[in-house]
Amino acid sequence: MADVLVVDSLVRRFGDLTAVDGVSFRIAPGETYGLLGPNGAGKTTTISMVAGLMAADAGTVTVAGEAMTPRTTEPKRHVGLVPQELAIYPDLSGRENLALFGRLQGLRGSELKVRVEEVLELIGLADRAKDRSKEYSGGMKRRLNIGIGLLHQPTLLILDEPTVGVDPQSRHAILESVEALSGEGMAVLYTTHYMEEAERLCDRIGIIDSGRLQAEGTRDELIRLIGGVDTIRLGGTGDLAGAAEELRLIPGVERVDTERRAATLTVKDAPALVAQVVGTATSYGVTLFDVEISRPDLESVFLHLTGKGLRD
Amino acid sequence: MTNALSVAGVELRLFLRDRSNLFFVFVFPLLLVLMIGLQFGEGARAGRVAVSGSDSTLQSALVQQLEHDDVVVSGPAWSDALDLLARGRLDVAVRVDGAAATAYDDGAALTLEVVRGPSGNAQVVEQDVRVAVDAVRADRNRLLAVTGHGVAADDAAAALDVAGRDVAAPALEVHYVDALSKEFAGLGQFDFGASGQLLLFVFLSCLAGSATLIQARRLGVVARMLAGPMTAGELVAGQILGRWAIGLFQGGYLMVATSVLFGVRWGSLPLALLILLLFSLVASGAAILLGTLLTNEGAASGAGVGVGLVLAALGGSMLPLELFPDAIRRIADVTPHAWAYTAFAEVQRRDGTLADIVPNLAVLAGMAAVVAALGAWALRRSLSRAM
Repeated sequence: MADVLVVDSLVRRFGDLTAVDGVSFRIAPGETYGLLGPNGAGKTTTISMVAGLMAADAGTVTVAGEAMTPRTTEPKRHVGLVPQELAIYPDLSGRENLALFGRLQGLRGSELKVRVEEVLELIGLADRAKDRSKEYSGGMKRRLNIGIGLLHQPTLLILDEPTVGVDPQSRHAILESVEALSGEGMAVLYTTHYMEEAERLCDRIGIIDSGRLQAEGTRDELIRLIGGVDTIRLGGTGDLAGAAEELRLIPGVERVDTERRAATLTVKDAPALVAQVVGTATSYGVTLFDVEISRPDLESVFLHLTGKGLRD
Repeated sequence: MTNALSVAGVELRLFLRDRSNLFFVFVFPLLLVLMIGLQFGEGARAGRVAVSGSDSTLQSALVQQLEHDDVVVSGPAWSDALDLLARGRLDVAVRVDGAAATAYDDGAALTLEVVRGPSGNAQVVEQDVRVAVDAVRADRNRLLAVTGHGVAADDAAAALDVAGRDVAAPALEVHYVDALSKEFAGLGQFDFGASGQLLLFVFLSCLAGSATLIQARRLGVVARMLAGPMTAGELVAGQILGRWAIGLFQGGYLMVATSVLFGVRWGSLPLALLILLLFSLVASGAAILLGTLLTNEGAASGAGVGVGLVLAALGGSMLPLELFPDAIRRIADVTPHAWAYTAFAEVQRRDGTLADIVPNLAVLAGMAAVVAALGAWALRRSLSRAM
């Protein structure tokens, strides 16, 4: 199936600053693609160009086979944008906000009515639909903000840091909704600087920093990209030094470092090896009181690629 | 166009939903029309006279005559009347003491004490009192003359009453010799205040709408709209239409309310509406311009009120343009208020036709085109900069 979104060599400059520098990626139907990067990395600028809100200095954006620019309207029918800020009218009720943006998306009559009620149910605001949105909690406003993006059932949903400033409960609800939408075949472009969100939601992740896409792939691909290895840390008493000699002989174990009451093994695949490692150590008379597995995460990848942390 | 109408509908809804607008849109303008009408309108010339003293034929005759002349008459004690005069609540006080009452009944000469207050109207009202006293005196003299010829007093009074009705009195046709009097001839008590306040509040209400545009830009609502299948042109049209609808609503409400409550005559309704349409369009363009140039809702509200009041004052909405010195009158022509004011004056006071107000309408249309185009250009520019 053809890609829903094709971003090719996007460039955007603000004076001397190149905010987005040759960014390219694709999203297939039903795929959730995460743009992971710290604040100021160029995520929102990229999204603004993808949504047709900002003109690119170079490069192209194609949505559902149609070129997206600020002046085109047709490709925008395929896009649902959920901006980072709460882009809702505070003096309109939840239902009125949805109805307004639904009309602007071309929905009319009974179709509009039905979709508004469906979305109210989906975002859990059906019982507060008549209240003005300024009376909603922060999480409810966030959900309404997302609901507006879903109204017209877009092919591509763009979520720009949708969980910023949200309480844990609402955050959980938002992440669940995104997972469900992706499961229904909607392509999702998700920006975040929360590593856990990217790991949980995204089929593929693009790591962006200083306007450049540093790397992209699945979580495992990215970790392999940096040659990431797992560690197994054994805590215990007994002949750890003697056991270490045996442990080094296990295929997949690359290195063993021992301390007085602990040994740290560098291995290729910790979950696959942990049982054998524990068995070998205990057979050497080591009494284990602690076994800990560590695997590299996207934070490590980001650190490796950019030399700084995601929250720097 | 549907998108533009949707945006316009939201703007009108937000305007009506803002409770702080309710007083200033629905109540305050009518209060001002009422106060201006009471202070400066035609009815404000009705004098307030106290006729003090015990009940007597003279007192009754004088009160009856004054009331016949549309003077508001009260009967406080003399000391109270003097107090009311000093406070400006009366224009003139007349004292009918026992000696004067007896002299009147006897047909003898008498003197009435009259005190004039400090109000601007007092001199005119004193004249009304003199005329009334003369009329009472003439009535008494006629009655004495007839009864002096042996006619019974009741028969004489009845005959004089019939004669007063049957004999046509000389009619007076007053020609105003000064331009100012001519200008305001035929204007009802509340007519001037109504048109002036309509222009003032239509402009203010439209400018108040600039704050919602700033809010929509600040919240990212405008950007979200443009992320949908809506052109920048449709968005600009919607914003202008929204404020135009606000202006028309405010103006329409004031026309209806002042007609019903104060009997204001707006002249030809189609022409009055045409003036309102064009004037509101100028105000809408100004609101878009203000809402685009400023980035803070508070500043926009303050600037809107300031600009609205200055233009209204300069354009004749607070003090009639006809009272302005020539130089200021010429400067006033830079305001849309002045052109709308003179157009309303033509339609309200002189039953003007379309031909009479074409120049005004043309200038208003020109101003609307320029200001709305400027506002649209500024908004488009800010949107494209944001892109």
